Amino acid sequence: MNINRRQALQTLGAGMGAIGLAATAGAENRLPFGAHFAPRAKRVIHLFMNGGPFGPDFLDPKPALKKYAGQRPKGADLRTERPTGGLLDVPFKYQKHGQSGLEMSDAIPMLSRHADDICVLRSMYTDNPNHGPALLLMNNGTMTPKVPSMGAWVSYGLGTENGNLPPYVVLCPGKPVRFSILWNSAFLPSKHAGVYINHSKIDPKTMIPWLSNKRMEAKPQRSQLDLIQALNAEHLAIRGGADLALQGRIEAMETAYKMQFAAMDAFDINREPESVRETYGKSHFANGCLLARRLAERGVRFTQVYYGNSQPWDTHRNHDPSTRRLAMDIDQPCAALLEDLKQRGMLDDTLVIWGGEFGRTPVSENGNGRDHNPNGFMYWIAGGGVKGGMAYGGTDEWGFKAVHKPMHHHDFHATLLHLMGIDHEKLVHRHAGRDYRLTDVHGHVAHEILA
Amino acid sequence: MRICVGAIFGVWMLALAAMSGRAAEIPWSFKPLRSVSPPNGHSGWAKTRADLFVEARRTEKGLKAAKRADRRTLLRRLCFDLIGMPPTAAEVHAFQDDPDPDAFARRVDQLLGSPQYGERWGRHWLDLARYVDTTASWLESTASAWLYRDWVVAAYNQDLSYPDFVRKQLANDLIDDCNPKDNAALGFLGLSPNYWKELQLPPEIIKGTVADEWEERVDALGRTFLGITLACARCHDHKSDPISQQDYYALAGVFASIRIADRPTMSEELWAPVAKAREEVAALEKKLKDLKKKKPKDLKEQTARLNAKIKLIKAGTPHYSVPTVNGVEEAALYVIPKTNAHGTTLNYEMGRARDLAVHKRGDPNVTGEIVPRRFLAVFNDSKPKLFQRGSGRLDLADAILEDAKPLAARVIVNRVWQQHFGRGLVGTPSEFGNIGDKPTHPDLLEDLSHRFVANGWSFKWLHREILLSATWQQSAMNQASKERDPDNDLLARMPRRRLDIEAWRDSMLKVNGNLAEIVGGKSTNLKDTRNNRRTLYGGINRRDLDKMLAVNDFPDPTAHAPTRNVTITPMQQLFALNSPFMEHQADSLARLIKDQPDKKRIAFAYERLFQRKPTKNELRIVESYLTDANDHPEKWSRYAHALLSGNEFLFVD
Repeated sequence: MNINRRQALQTLGAGMGAIGLAATAGAENRLPFGAHFAPRAKRVIHLFMNGGPFGPDFLDPKPALKKYAGQRPKGADLRTERPTGGLLDVPFKYQKHGQSGLEMSDAIPMLSRHADDICVLRSMYTDNPNHGPALLLMNNGTMTPKVPSMGAWVSYGLGTENGNLPPYVVLCPGKPVRFSILWNSAFLPSKHAGVYINHSKIDPKTMIPWLSNKRMEAKPQRSQLDLIQALNAEHLAIRGGADLALQGRIEAMETAYKMQFAAMDAFDINREPESVRETYGKSHFANGCLLARRLAERGVRFTQVYYGNSQPWDTHRNHDPSTRRLAMDIDQPCAALLEDLKQRGMLDDTLVIWGGEFGRTPVSENGNGRDHNPNGFMYWIAGGGVKGGMAYGGTDEWGFKAVHKPMHHHDFHATLLHLMGIDHEKLVHRHAGRDYRLTDVHGHVAHEILA
Repeated sequence: MRICVGAIFGVWMLALAAMSGRAAEIPWSFKPLRSVSPPNGHSGWAKTRADLFVEARRTEKGLKAAKRADRRTLLRRLCFDLIGMPPTAAEVHAFQDDPDPDAFARRVDQLLGSPQYGERWGRHWLDLARYVDTTASWLESTASAWLYRDWVVAAYNQDLSYPDFVRKQLANDLIDDCNPKDNAALGFLGLSPNYWKELQLPPEIIKGTVADEWEERVDALGRTFLGITLACARCHDHKSDPISQQDYYALAGVFASIRIADRPTMSEELWAPVAKAREEVAALEKKLKDLKKKKPKDLKEQTARLNAKIKLIKAGTPHYSVPTVNGVEEAALYVIPKTNAHGTTLNYEMGRARDLAVHKRGDPNVTGEIVPRRFLAVFNDSKPKLFQRGSGRLDLADAILEDAKPLAARVIVNRVWQQHFGRGLVGTPSEFGNIGDKPTHPDLLEDLSHRFVANGWSFKWLHREILLSATWQQSAMNQASKERDPDNDLLARMPRRRLDIEAWRDSMLKVNGNLAEIVGGKSTNLKDTRNNRRTLYGGINRRDLDKMLAVNDFPDPTAHAPTRNVTITPMQQLFALNSPFMEHQADSLARLIKDQPDKKRIAFAYERLFQRKPTKNELRIVESYLTDANDHPEKWSRYAHALLSGNEFLFVD
């Protein structure tokens, strides 16, 4: 590396992230803002229950459902997407857990051991009762599919902790509805888009496109890269030796070369001891959680784990048996993830989020199912600077509508960014004549839940 | 609903406007074109009228122009600019030895006459038009999206005048004596993103989704043809430009009066029997489907009978298999509650048009006064002309080209300049309002726009004006300019540009001898390493963009994209180092190399890729690599791969 180049790189600041941006053409782009204040969470793991779970099944007891089962009292007659009937009771039993006495149902017995780490958001609400729009609202802030996703915003704002890996990874053993729009970078530079990985096969080579060279071992590939770089250096020298784009690409080639091995390691859960694999279990979701931990550990800023293909939590029929099955499948991996992060001292600065695009109705649909409900639903979060063992806000006595400290998805996003050290009103990007931000012109930070 | 200008700039502008009690100022770009005479040239540097403007500004700031680029660099640059691929070595050498003073101009004309010109420039337009090959699944379209792509390519190749280009895309079907083949142009509207409307939901919600779609159309229209952002006037008057909320709904009414539909490419009379036959076949096919579900005992017999019927209809209907195009038809949309049931009906009144009521604060459920369909009031001193013909699409196109002529001309001239220089004279190509960048050379933009219109709005005329200029022919090397004017506002050098994915991939196909020189046709699969068609022909899907395109800065086809981001990421380099496509290309090149006598092999590749001999240093580097590789059977392939993935093949001087 010659002096000019080193100087150029130093002036730019922080490695690849900055170079990528500096090489961005067009006056409609701007440099990132970085953290506005000390972050509580350095990274996020978002466990996305696509389809939409029903909060009172897990962390939001609603005894009135039993009392009024089958009836449709005033207030429990909100109109949703489809025709609904009377109130439908929850089959799970609640108990107080931990020192905090947080109420959790027996649908998630293993997770209950972490009651004191969990902050339940009982008063979430959003604007649309249909999957596609609601997925966009939860991920991108608005319904129109041409704005960046929250992971892209976070990557744009904070850059990456590990230039050998993508800053934003999306795991799903299949494809969630709406697919790549949910993690797109829209008008932000494309390196901030989520890198989607179908992890239904756990071989890293099948997860990441072009990750390994099928023809050459590391050594001959290194000599080939040396050839490329020697010719690139010649090319650069003839052109005066200072060109950020040419230098940026030389650097990116090196990073890519290293990424081949870094990602092979990061994405390979088979490198975990069998005991760890067993703690998580071996379902797709368990593998996703374990992968997410490996990525978080290596500095990936934002990881989403979609529960499954399409929308498995969309229980319009046979809600109870389906939920029982789904709950069994997520309980162990979620508990293992929290435990694992804690043991590694990472829970303090890793924010774990669990929830879907909306919730479900307390009233029945098709007799034994539940319809979509954007009016009031539950998320739980843990670690990364949030108070554990607490419940925030609340829905009405049926769990239909957020009434106590309602938390709109914009408020949720504002709070998430706040935890990461970002003022949601300041993370803006000028595009097409306007300033855009994740929270549009809305959003209030829920200070009460900050540890 | 959406941040408009919002937090930083807009607020104080609004405050200013409010204090002074007047509406937002009329932007420079809305005003009539000024007739300007160029400054006098002194040095003899200038070759064209445009150069005089550039020279005046540059010398005023005390900067010298870069030297003229050498002939090899010039011809390469020219080829990448006009056809998106490098010249052959023979072409470069012939140009180097050509004593004709018009040698360069002749090459410009020759390239402008090549069908590959339209393939290159058509794609620039498709970025603006948010082109896709696959429309939303629920639309059940059987039309051929690629006919729009091919129409755009042909329009560039034929040098269709810009007004015709615009009118046909917005309203070909409404033009008197139109050529129905040009209905393909309606793809600009017909391939618009479509948002899912769950009709089990109440109309209050569906109205919002429908209004979002109208906003998408108004936004794409405003940014593409007028270079202004209209969407924020959905909720309130524009905060920095003189565009009212009434203006927005006057335009949105046009889009409330059309419906996305497959359109024929032949006259209605010829098409009527085909349409009828297609309906019959669709009904029979539905019957077939139902039969398969029901599985009656005589399934076989019934199926055979239905199939025979279908065959008969198809055979008996002339033009049955002529493809349709993704277009629009005249229909006024009303979102109403479903009769006697939960849910919503989209009620299209065919052949009718409707005016919209203002949605207060953008909420479609809280409406105000009704606004007749018309053009933006700011462009008419007196009363704005109302749109009279049908939905008003043709009136709208005419208003863009007549009432807003200066703006429309400046915007498109700037886009062409942008593609030749990497950046427009106005750095915000789709934001010519008050918050957009001001032109670096205002008089030059005025003069070029003025003469562009006077020369029949001809793209090819404009290319010549730019390419023959001394400004465009400068070298990329100018240390003083780099230091004192890093953004190159003064145009004292040519910026070095990274090729976009299309030009990079196409160049590879060409130099490796793989390129299939077929123009037009159905989209192709880019995942197939043996796909030798130009990248333009790769299928584009909004839901699932090809991975190679996605990592290499191809724009999101959901929205109008006025510029390509140029990011440099490790994921791109993984593609360059490891993808089967690159391996295949390297093998092709290696085969060509190995056909050469031993001593000529290294240099042969340099001629093929860069149309020059390798330097001594390069020779030494490559020779040492090849010596280390001993007689490895893949050494030439590895060498080829290295050249193809190196910087010189990706950047143009």
